[in-house]
Amino acid sequence: MLPLSPDTPVGHTVTGRKKTVTSYRTWLFSGGWPRFDGWPAKNVHTDLAAAQQSGLPTRAASGAMCLGYLTEFLVDLFGDEWLRHGELTSKFIGIVDAGDDIFCKARVTAREETGPGICLALDVWCENQDGTPVVVGTATGRLE
Amino acid sequence: MGAPKRTDRLAAGEKLDPFTFHVTEEFNENFLHSMEDFHPRYVEDHAGRAPIIHAGLLFNFSNLTRSPSFSLPAGVAAIHTHEEAAFLQPAPVGSTLTVSWKITDTYEKRGRLYQVVEALITTETGNQVLRRISTNIYMGEG
Repeated sequence: MLPLSPDTPVGHTVTGRKKTVTSYRTWLFSGGWPRFDGWPAKNVHTDLAAAQQSGLPTRAASGAMCLGYLTEFLVDLFGDEWLRHGELTSKFIGIVDAGDDIFCKARVTAREETGPGICLALDVWCENQDGTPVVVGTATGRLE
Repeated sequence: MGAPKRTDRLAAGEKLDPFTFHVTEEFNENFLHSMEDFHPRYVEDHAGRAPIIHAGLLFNFSNLTRSPSFSLPAGVAAIHTHEEAAFLQPAPVGSTLTVSWKITDTYEKRGRLYQVVEALITTETGNQVLRRISTNIYMGEG
């Protein structure tokens, strides 16, 4: 995956690295500190019974996991400086559970000259292994 | 002092108690395993600066469930539906961060309660790291 550049055209599409969601990774993310007794904590992200008690059909990995994936992807595309000015909006439209593979994707939708640099607007989304979007949104970032 | 008010009953303008946490190297690396992201920017001096905290950790620890006053009965869960995030500066590993939360809106849609909360992460010196506006839906019966 190549980073974006000031010459990247509208319509350019890029796919990030595959992320494999496992029970262990959701426990690390949402189950508390592994050294504590009782790890992983039982909640809708880590435990089927807790999820079903709250009306969910299955465990749902934290939305923050996909936000982490998308941010990693955007930092790879724009560079570390994205963490000083980057913006991300997202809507969670599908459940992510252990066993899913998640791919972050982006399409450049607009370019705007901003003094010494350029601002790129993107559509961003996360797809699972079936190609079904589970998170959709937009992002902006600057390049010089 | 009584029990905190149920979080799903907080109205616009009400705040949750702030949460302060220290991010050690080990703490950050724990999240790198969950994220499958071991870029040098997170684990060693990189591009002339100290390693930085992974954004997945920042998002996770600024969810309103992290507030000491977050309170829901068993069987009720806050499910994240929308997010708007603005990154303001990277936070180096070793930082002590404080998260503050304020409810900005509540509404009902198709019989379900939605709540909008603004969260801000700041460093011990007051620098702003991440500002988020999250929408949660409450599911289950308490």
